[in-house]
Amino acid sequence: MKKVKVLIQGMHCASCASNVERSVGKVSGVKSCSVSLMTRKSIIECEDNVKEDDLKKAVARAGYHVVSIEK
Amino acid sequence: MDHKMSEHDHAKMQEPSIEEMEIRGWKRKMMWAWIFTIPIALLMLGERLLGFEPFPDIVMHIIILILAFPVIFITGWQTIKGGLRGLFTFYFNMDSLIALGTLIAYFSGLSHIFFKNGDYSGVSAMIMAIFVTGKYIETKARGQATQEIKKLLELGAKKARILRGKEEAEVDISELKIGDIMIIKPGEKIPTDGIVVRGESAVDESMISGESLPVEKGKGNTVIGATLNQDGILYVKATKIGSDTFLAHIINLVEEAQGTKIPIQRLADKVTSIFVPTILIIAVLTFIAWFYFTGDINRSLGIGISVLVIACPCALGLAVPIALMVGSGMGSKRGILIRKGEAIQTMKEVKIFVFDKTGTITKGKPEVTNIYSKVKENYLLDIAASLETLSEHPIAHAIVSKANVKKYGKVTNFSIVRGKGVIGKIGSNDVVIGNRSLMTDKNIKYEDFDKNIKEFESQGKTVMIVAENKKALGIIAVADAIKEDSAQAINILNQRKYKTVILTGDNELTARAIAFQVGIKNVIANVLPEDKAKKVEELQKYGMVAFVGDGINDAPALKQSNVGIAMGSGTDIAIEAGDIVLVRGSLRGVIAALNLSQATFKKIKQNLFWAFGYNVVMIPLAIAGILNPIFAEVAMALSSISVITNANLLRRIRI
Repeated sequence: MKKVKVLIQGMHCASCASNVERSVGKVSGVKSCSVSLMTRKSIIECEDNVKEDDLKKAVARAGYHVVSIEK
Repeated sequence: MDHKMSEHDHAKMQEPSIEEMEIRGWKRKMMWAWIFTIPIALLMLGERLLGFEPFPDIVMHIIILILAFPVIFITGWQTIKGGLRGLFTFYFNMDSLIALGTLIAYFSGLSHIFFKNGDYSGVSAMIMAIFVTGKYIETKARGQATQEIKKLLELGAKKARILRGKEEAEVDISELKIGDIMIIKPGEKIPTDGIVVRGESAVDESMISGESLPVEKGKGNTVIGATLNQDGILYVKATKIGSDTFLAHIINLVEEAQGTKIPIQRLADKVTSIFVPTILIIAVLTFIAWFYFTGDINRSLGIGISVLVIACPCALGLAVPIALMVGSGMGSKRGILIRKGEAIQTMKEVKIFVFDKTGTITKGKPEVTNIYSKVKENYLLDIAASLETLSEHPIAHAIVSKANVKKYGKVTNFSIVRGKGVIGKIGSNDVVIGNRSLMTDKNIKYEDFDKNIKEFESQGKTVMIVAENKKALGIIAVADAIKEDSAQAINILNQRKYKTVILTGDNELTARAIAFQVGIKNVIANVLPEDKAKKVEELQKYGMVAFVGDGINDAPALKQSNVGIAMGSGTDIAIEAGDIVLVRGSLRGVIAALNLSQATFKKIKQNLFWAFGYNVVMIPLAIAGILNPIFAEVAMALSSISVITNANLLRRIRI
């Protein structure tokens, strides 16, 4: 298990945050994803083998952009 | 390691700029939107109010269509694009409603040319202009709500002056290494966490702990990065850098707390997640129903658009996080770190405050106050110190520093009996040091000292019996001074009708003496460290329990309690255990945390009430056809702004 913090650009309403949570939550290996609209950050708990790219794609699928990922 | 560091800093530095970019972007859009929308508004008003029509009807409509085009398709492009994509991918958001509302309105203007239907293209520009303006104000206000956190991020020093051989060199903070000796002149920020190796000075730690008085620092004291050196030069050896520093921990903790959900939020979240699709359906049904019953396509269209644009999940979705943000920001400024948002809600239900003794009510730095011995005092201290020097317990430290032995006896077979004492062998002598319970376990009689033990204990002191070869030689009494504001804080809790309890491993007599001095009514004594959590569980039968402890051996009890309040004394903060961490190890912080939670939760409730109320009242009004689309959009923008403004008002409360 690992925890990553993802900085996301483009979220500007409450539905946006829940869209990201829904989309990232669908990535296999992701245990939890909580998005803060206020800090623009998403804290994702997932298996070690989850690729950053998959997370980025999931965020993009919901219509937003990943600025950076920190571990 | 370096790589990770730089990425970390990178993200931190980018964060405010994203926000600024967003604010600037909305501002630019807002200006352009109004440049085209104001003429439209003037034309429309002139026509409606004064009957002023400078152009033939068809020309007028075309002018408005042309003016509205850039508002919708240039300033509103991102909203339209995001909204439409949301519609197709089923990731609906706020934009979907606005996009649909404005597009339908705009195209009604186009079709007007051919079918002479009602023209809402002017309205579409106004809706978009108001929406963009609302977003601008909202983003700015949201930025204000995060100001404390931003200050926290900017708190760290950028440069450090270090000693390289005999030379002083200024280096970037990222180049600083553990073990570097930093030189901090008066008025300068301490670059990172470390230990003072030379010099004396007062250090202002208010930015971290909320403690307004400067703290005296000298050789051997630890200092925290980002605090301010005041009057002397300090030479400090760096012990922690980058993401390991105290400041980095605090930032991390405050940021993570923003992602935690408060139970009261669940309903709002649920509503938010189905909000947009629900409104889409309602809007379509409204349009159909109005058309069916009135046959008036123009009116039906206007009402449908009103429904689309009035509904706003924003106020609802922001209600809780924005208040939590402001609340936790206020806390972080005062040394109260809310780790779990849930604690704010649970705090309201708490009936019982349970306090650990050592390090929580007392300073946690016990000193030897009395020695009563049958043998020479020095001998007693010598053997006691020889054993205790192997233990990490605060009482052991007190005995060792009192004895001040040059050469310790060689100890074999040493072991610690948790919550009771220590055992070992010095040469061929069996030594046992501990409380009465340990003596009873080992069949050692101590009746001779009974009177003295009771006397010391009734003064709130902890008594250790020293025995050699199954014979009690003497006793050492240790007292731990009570923190200055413990009594005051507990007094306030008592006044507010909370039950206060002391939970300690000490014996009944000592515990009662301390409890009496600070005004605690209930005493649970003789509790082994591992049983603390169980005792908390028993107390939970009588109501929700907040446990206040200094975090290291209190961790299970902190977890078991409904609200765990950890005393983070300086750098050794026990971050993981508590729901709320008090940076300054003072019980006044418990009161402040209580006040802050109550005030924040009140704001949360207010916000939810407004957000739900707004939607519950306005959507039916729109369906009923009472609201015109422009007013609907104004009301929508105001709803989210009002929720944010209300949260920002939390700052007025004194905690």
